[in-house]
Amino acid sequence: MIKTWELEPNFKYEIMKEPGGEHLTSCFQCSTCTLGCPLTEIVPGYNPRKIIQMSLLGMRNEVLSNPDLWVCLICQTCTARCPQDVRIADLLGAIRRIAEREEEAGKLKIDSVRPRFDKAFMHQLEKYGRLYDFGLAKEYYTGREGSFFKGMMAMSKDYKAFGMRLFKKGKMGPKALFPEKVKDREVMKKIFEQMGAGKK
Amino acid sequence: MSERKYAYYPGCPSGTTAMEQDMSMKAVFEKLGIELEEVEDWNCCGASEVEDPEIVYALNARNLAIAEKQGLNIVTPCSICYYNLSRSNKALKGNEELRARVRSIDDSLAYNGGVEVKHVLDVLVNDIGIEALKQKVEKKVEAKVAPYYGCYIGRPPETAFDDPDAPGLMDRLVELVGAEVVPYNYTKTKCCGGPLMMTRQDIAFEMARKVLEGAKNAGADCIALACPLCGMMLDAKQPDIEEAFGIEIGMPVLYITQLLGLALGIDSGKLGLNKNIVDTKDIIGKVV
Repeated sequence: MIKTWELEPNFKYEIMKEPGGEHLTSCFQCSTCTLGCPLTEIVPGYNPRKIIQMSLLGMRNEVLSNPDLWVCLICQTCTARCPQDVRIADLLGAIRRIAEREEEAGKLKIDSVRPRFDKAFMHQLEKYGRLYDFGLAKEYYTGREGSFFKGMMAMSKDYKAFGMRLFKKGKMGPKALFPEKVKDREVMKKIFEQMGAGKK
Repeated sequence: MSERKYAYYPGCPSGTTAMEQDMSMKAVFEKLGIELEEVEDWNCCGASEVEDPEIVYALNARNLAIAEKQGLNIVTPCSICYYNLSRSNKALKGNEELRARVRSIDDSLAYNGGVEVKHVLDVLVNDIGIEALKQKVEKKVEAKVAPYYGCYIGRPPETAFDDPDAPGLMDRLVELVGAEVVPYNYTKTKCCGGPLMMTRQDIAFEMARKVLEGAKNAGADCIALACPLCGMMLDAKQPDIEEAFGIEIGMPVLYITQLLGLALGIDSGKLGLNKNIVDTKDIIGKVV
């Protein structure tokens, strides 16, 4: 139900200021994005068209706390088919970043482990310039499970068989066990410090 | 063959989960007489986890600037790397203010817009060309193949280099090697589920299961693909997917450069065909 007295009409402009969210108001609600989305076959009620309409209406809290924001695969099918060039995949990314900042500010609780994973991934790039799988898994599982020990238990449950499979094929050599580092790591740090929304 | 040398952007999984893609890429280009010079000290493209486009642009400005200094256009075998490098290239080329802002972070990010970025499928079919490749083909791979494209080849429109609904570049390579393309239209452009593997494994597995079963139902002996994340989901995770759903798939998954390499007469070991998780012996056995 729409509570008109709770609407935040400026929400659409907040999204449009975020890189990727610029085309929000081009949407004319045709639903092509949702009809082509592969997730609609798997996640009941998944509906990016509805998220866009709620954003346009200013249903800020409902949109930012919607768990469906975090299951988009960014496969770009919606973007390819949209007749209005709304670029839905990028738009949902823009909304996700607003939600993440709200959570960082203590105003929202996100019901998904994805922000934690994405952040752990970015920390690897910041530190090494390249993805370090072990470092990523260690940080992600430790944070998700609340302690290093519990994290390692959960990781082992998810990845023991997978890891053994890779090991047997010789894919767990030094390049998997130790981080590959770019020489100029200072610039990686600077990029994450200085780029991104709100850092102009 | 228009160019004899490219800047090679291998991507992060090239030394680990996708080492067979890296091996086969190098072996195929060597056989074709085209030099690959690695983008020196390249950094990660941002994958699908760095969602802020501006950070992606800055990360890739460095890669592009390095290739520019090397005086070469970039080729990458990874669809996600391609997407990030290519969209950054477009954004930076078309926006002087963005270039200046990125440059102000560090001199190493000074990019002047002089590089083209291409996916390996695009290079093989459009730069080198099917006719030129045909002259190098020594053997026939008599297999039924499901060419799987996934994302970022036909979409999004700003960086796509094939048809979004009926892509054909990989089909042409599969035909070139003497294999049969199985009817596989429904799933060939669906996402493999990879981006959700660590956060919503249930959804990721369901996506991958559809792709694998789609190929199996179409009568394929193997899947051919061109992205290490798709490779990880469909090949390395295949036993986990079989276990999760209680099904048997047993579908070999080859990188397109491995398949092409077999037709070019390259030794299967050099193509890393012993590195794929699902056994590829049956496919090697179909090389005549």
